[in-house]
Amino acid sequence: MTIASAVGELAPAPRPAPTPGRVWDIVLRARELGILVVIFAVFGGTTIYNSSFASSASVQQLLAGASIYALLGVGETIVIITRNVDLSVGSVLGLSAYVVGEVFLHNPNFPVPLAFLVGIGVGVVCGVVNGAIVAVARVPSLVVTLGTLYLIRGVDALVVNGVQIDPSSIPGGFIGVGVNNILGVPWIFVITAVVVLVVGYAMRTFRSNRDLYAIGSNPAAAELAGVPVRKRVFWAFVFSGAIAGLGGALWLAQFATVASTAGSGYELIVVSGVVVGGVAIFGGSGTVLGAALGPLLLNTINQALVAARISAFWNQAIAGGLLIAAIAFDRFVSLRRERNLRLRRAARGA
Amino acid sequence: MDGIESEQVVAADAQASGGGGAGSRTPLLELRKMSKQFGPVQALSEIDLKVYPGEVTAVVGDNGAGKSVTLKTISGIHPPDGGEILWQGKPVHIRTPKDASALGIETVYQDLALCGNLDVVQNMFLGRERTRNHLLDENSMESAAAATLSSLSVTTLRSVRQSVASLSGGQRQAVAVAKAVMWNSKLVIMDEPTAALGVAQTAMVLELTRRLASRGLGVIFVSHNFNDVFEVADQIAVLYLGRLVASLPAKGLDRQVVVDYVTSGASSRNGSQLAHADGA
Ligand SMILES: Nc1ncnc2c1ncn2[C@@H]1O[C@H](COP(=O)(O)OP(=O)(O)OP(=O)(O)O)[C@@H](O)[C@H]1O
Ligand SMILES: [Mg+2]
Repeated sequence: MTIASAVGELAPAPRPAPTPGRVWDIVLRARELGILVVIFAVFGGTTIYNSSFASSASVQQLLAGASIYALLGVGETIVIITRNVDLSVGSVLGLSAYVVGEVFLHNPNFPVPLAFLVGIGVGVVCGVVNGAIVAVARVPSLVVTLGTLYLIRGVDALVVNGVQIDPSSIPGGFIGVGVNNILGVPWIFVITAVVVLVVGYAMRTFRSNRDLYAIGSNPAAAELAGVPVRKRVFWAFVFSGAIAGLGGALWLAQFATVASTAGSGYELIVVSGVVVGGVAIFGGSGTVLGAALGPLLLNTINQALVAARISAFWNQAIAGGLLIAAIAFDRFVSLRRERNLRLRRAARGA
Repeated sequence: MDGIESEQVVAADAQASGGGGAGSRTPLLELRKMSKQFGPVQALSEIDLKVYPGEVTAVVGDNGAGKSVTLKTISGIHPPDGGEILWQGKPVHIRTPKDASALGIETVYQDLALCGNLDVVQNMFLGRERTRNHLLDENSMESAAAATLSSLSVTTLRSVRQSVASLSGGQRQAVAVAKAVMWNSKLVIMDEPTAALGVAQTAMVLELTRRLASRGLGVIFVSHNFNDVFEVADQIAVLYLGRLVASLPAKGLDRQVVVDYVTSGASSRNGSQLAHADGA
């Protein structure tokens, strides 16, 4: 091999014409669009079967029901992008709901905005614990947050026991956030949408958030590039905690009661939702928009089954099937990419 | 085949500032009695090495000879625990990769250290993104990355917004090299840049390596492949069990001499021609 022929190798390759395969590739990559299409397909199909499904009350219920999952999905996504996972979100939500309820029980005139801040604060404390153990002690997050899931749930069960919080103890203004609409759209959905848009924008435009993708993609390379890996991972957990805390306050506003089981099992729904929404469980890719649409899709299917009077058993089976389909789909896309690469290389070698 | 290769090395050499003799020029980088120990393992003992601007210095040696460790001491990953590093004649301390970058030393690691999920531009600017009003300045980064790639005549990329996972091995190597060059670096270190590449892609990387040297950069090039080494190197340094046993001008060098040094730490062939490290 001589240098002269190597230079020949560097000559610009003729631009390949767009083939149907390439168009297909672009479609495959726009995961968010795909999920929206499926949501509308499920919605349309169910409406044909049962026209009351498209009534505004039903749509409001659909959006409100998905909101807390979608909101938690935003925090979870930030953590998963760094190749970690936060399994404690459901327990944190429960604790936050309890603490905010307790605050109202003792101070019936507690300002509503401050109550939300209290909820967020509870989440931040939990997030700091998770983040510190994962980032400083370098314990795998799966283990750490599984531990805090049970720990916080245990604390929750202890303190909630015997406490009686019912709608009469909670200010109407606070409950309004959970159940009222603005211009026909549930407040809780509006809040979630604002969080999704703000965080989605920040993920694209702030330097420190680019680091999160790098950490999840190749932690060693991120470290070599001078990315403060531990600091970023720590803050990802704090953020996820804060979001779960906000979720707890919204949960209280929506259900106007406190139970020791509030939010239990949410972590699995949230993780499945974001994975369906295209957030790679191995880290390094995904968007918060996708992460919010995943839970919305799961909830739409859930409600559709109810409207079609199909047994609730199918709900779980379908959610599980979708999760596996989403992962298989990601695998398919990456295999396809590898195959294309091989073909291109072979074509060039010839 | 040997003949063709050495002609090219001669041709390339003519562009470089001085030629073989180390004489009066100041080395870009000089290691003096540099040592590194990992627990009981003496990975490097008293390495002396000079790297000149505009030259490719190849570092060869058997597995475990200490090539990667040498590079890592220079790039700030494993700071040395004995000896001195001189940068443009002045002693410096390189304790972190940031220190190395600040001096103008960039490393293309053996495993490339790229993030597959990020695109070419994002990788080239990783950890050093440009911002404008605190927001990422994508346009300026994209055009800087594209300009660097085209200045290195890397034209096989379909788009600088492709994810690195979708690139071929040679393209990834080219991106890693371009990333190293973009930061006005003066010394580019490459650890086995051709190890995983096919014939055509290897040629592309070797060509790129020569181009860096002809721009006046110093290049340290680690490889097990003697064809590659003799094609690009101006100087060949041989490590043997953590010691530098030879540092020889590549021009007209008998390949078998290098093989002897690599395998046994000494050579009895053509002894008179050799500028032995200890003597220089
Ligand atoms: N982080 C480390 N901790 C302990 N020992 C190490 C470390 N890195 C390298 N070593 C030891 O230092 C010696 C030199 O290793 P090095 O990686 O430099 O070899 P090399 O010349 O690059 O070999 P190869 O050709 O296989 O890449 C080896 O004995 C190795 O085991
Ligand atoms: Mg090595």
